[in-house]
Amino acid sequence: MTPETAVVQALNGISFGALLFILAAGLSLIFGMMDVVNLAHGAFYMLGAYITLTVVQRTGQFWLALLLAPPLIGALGLVMEPLLLRRLRGRHLDQVLLTIGVSLVIADLVGLTWGREIRSVPFPAGLDHAISILGGDYPVYRLFVIAFGVVLAVILAIVHRRTRVGALIRAGVQDAPMLAALGVDIDRLFAVTFAIGAALAGLAGVIAAPVFGIYPGMDVDYLIYSLVVVVVGGLGTLSGAVAGSALIGPIDTFGKVLFPQFALALIFAVMALVLLLRPTGLLGRIRIAR
Amino acid sequence: MTSVLSRARTLQLVGALIAAALLVTFPIWSTPWEGSRYATSILRDMLILAILALSLDLLVGSAGMPSLGHAAYFGAGAYAAAIAGQRFGSDDLLLGLGAAILVSSLLALAIGAVAVRAAGIFFLMLTLAFAQMVFAVAFQAADITGGSNGFSGVRRPMLFGLDFNGPDALFHLVAVVFLLVLLLVWRIRSSTYGRALVGLRENERRMRALGYDTTRLKLSAFVLAGAIAGVGGALQAYSIRFVSTNDVGVARSVEAFVSVLIGGASTLLGPVVGAIVVLFIERVMPSYIAFAETVLGLVFIIFVLAARQGIVGMVRVAYARARA
Repeated sequence: MTPETAVVQALNGISFGALLFILAAGLSLIFGMMDVVNLAHGAFYMLGAYITLTVVQRTGQFWLALLLAPPLIGALGLVMEPLLLRRLRGRHLDQVLLTIGVSLVIADLVGLTWGREIRSVPFPAGLDHAISILGGDYPVYRLFVIAFGVVLAVILAIVHRRTRVGALIRAGVQDAPMLAALGVDIDRLFAVTFAIGAALAGLAGVIAAPVFGIYPGMDVDYLIYSLVVVVVGGLGTLSGAVAGSALIGPIDTFGKVLFPQFALALIFAVMALVLLLRPTGLLGRIRIAR
Repeated sequence: MTSVLSRARTLQLVGALIAAALLVTFPIWSTPWEGSRYATSILRDMLILAILALSLDLLVGSAGMPSLGHAAYFGAGAYAAAIAGQRFGSDDLLLGLGAAILVSSLLALAIGAVAVRAAGIFFLMLTLAFAQMVFAVAFQAADITGGSNGFSGVRRPMLFGLDFNGPDALFHLVAVVFLLVLLLVWRIRSSTYGRALVGLRENERRMRALGYDTTRLKLSAFVLAGAIAGVGGALQAYSIRFVSTNDVGVARSVEAFVSVLIGGASTLLGPVVGAIVVLFIERVMPSYIAFAETVLGLVFIIFVLAARQGIVGMVRVAYARARA
C-alpha cells in the first residue's frame, strides 16, 4: 500500500465512519431511552435514500431531499411509536419483534414502489468535483460527509448537555419511570425520542445516497453495521456511537483493501473481541454480555 | 379411569401414525389432482422450514433465547452436505447429513460461546450480527461456496442403494426426516433436559442456585438447535441440488423466527403450523397479490401485538375453555 492510497483509504474510512455515526446515533438514542433496539432502523435508512432518489429525479435538488426526508421519516416514527410500540411498553423483546415486522413491511413497500434494482444519485451541485490530494483526485462529497458527521456530533452533544430536551433525554435514559413520576409526559418523550432516532436514520440515508449506494438489501446491511457500531462503542451513549463508528468505519474500509478475502467478516471479529474484553462495549454503561 | 386414559392415548397414537403415513405418501395419493406436483414441492419446502423452526423453538420457546440468526446453521448444513459430497465424490446421504451436523454444530459452538454470554435483546442482536458474518464468509469464499453464483451440482442423495433424487422419493426422504425431528424435539421437550431449558427461560438465577451450569446448558441447547437446523439445510441442498447465499441470509432467519411466533412458541406443533402459514404467504400468495411480504410483516405485527401465544397457543386456550 503506497502512502497515497493509505491516505485515500483513511479518508474513505473516516467518511464511512461519519456516515455510520449518523446512523448509529439514532439507534443508540432510542435504545438509551426506551430499551428497544429498533430493527427497523435499516429500513428507515433505506427509505431516506429512496426518498432522496425521487426528490433528485423530480427536482434535481439534493438539498431539498436533505430538508424533506428526515422530517418525513421522523413523522413515521412519531406515528409508529404510539400506534405499535406503546401498546407493548415494558415488554422490550416484543417491542423489538414489532420492529422486525415493520422493517419487513417497509422493505417490501420500497421494493414495490421503487423497483428492485440498484439505483444511484449524482453528487449534489457544488460538491460534484474532486480535489487533488497527494496527486490523486478525491471526491469532495466524501469530505462533506466527514464534515457533516463531525458537525452533527457536536450539535447532538450540545443539545444533549445544554438544552432542556437534552436534560429530559439524559434523565429518561437514567430512569424513565422516575421521570414520569416527576410529572414529565413520558408518552410524549418516548414518541419524540423515537421520531428523532428515525429521522437520524433517514438523514443517514440521504447523506449516503450519492456515495454508498441505493439497493434492495441495503436496509439489512446497514442495520447490521449500526448494530456492530453500537455494540463495539457501547449502547445508549453518544460517545459510544462516536467511538464505535470511528473504529468500525476505518477497520471495514481498510479490511476491504488489505484482506479482500475475509473483509466482510472482519468487523464481526472485532465485535466479538470487544465483547470478550469489555462486555459493555468501549464506552457504554450497559452490560451487553456477561 | 386408567383404561379410559390409555384408550385416549391409543387413539392419539393411532391418529398420529395415520397422519404420519398420509404425510409421507402425499405425492402418491395426491397424484389424481392436477396440482399435485406443485403442492408436493411447496409442502416439501414447508417441512424443511418446519425443521428449521422446530430447532429454533428449542431456543426461542423452551429456553427463552431469541436467536435471530438461525439460518447460519441451516446454511452451514446446506453447504457442508453439498461440499462434502463434491470433495469425497460420494452420493452417500449419511456422509452429507453427517457433514451437515458436524459443521453446523461446530459453528454453533463457536458463535454460541460468545452469544450465550448475552441475554434477551442483546442475544438477539449478537446472533443476528454473527449470522451476517457467516453470510459474508459464504459470499466471499467463492472458490469453496460458489459465492454469489451459488453452489450448483449438489450430488444426489443415496442411502443403501436407494436413490432419493426424484421429486417423489425426495419428498418421502424429507417427510421421514421431518417426522424424526418432530419425534426428537418432542422427546427433548418432555425430558429433564428440556425442562431444565424451560427453567432457564422462567428463572435463570434460580437454575443457577439449583446448581445448574446455566451457561453450559444454554450453549448445549444452542449447539443442539444448530445441529438440527443443519439437517434441515442439508435437505434443502438435496431438494433443489443447489445452495445459495440466501440459505444463510437474514431473510431465512426471519422466516424461521416468524414461523415460531405465528405458530406458537413453546408448543410442539406451533413451529410446524407457522412454517406452513409463512410459506403459504410467501410462495402461494404472490400468484395473486404483489405485496405478499408486506402481508407477512403485517400478520407478524398483529400476532406480536394481539396473539403472542400464536395459533397453536390460541387453539389450546380455546380448547381448554370449551372443556371447562
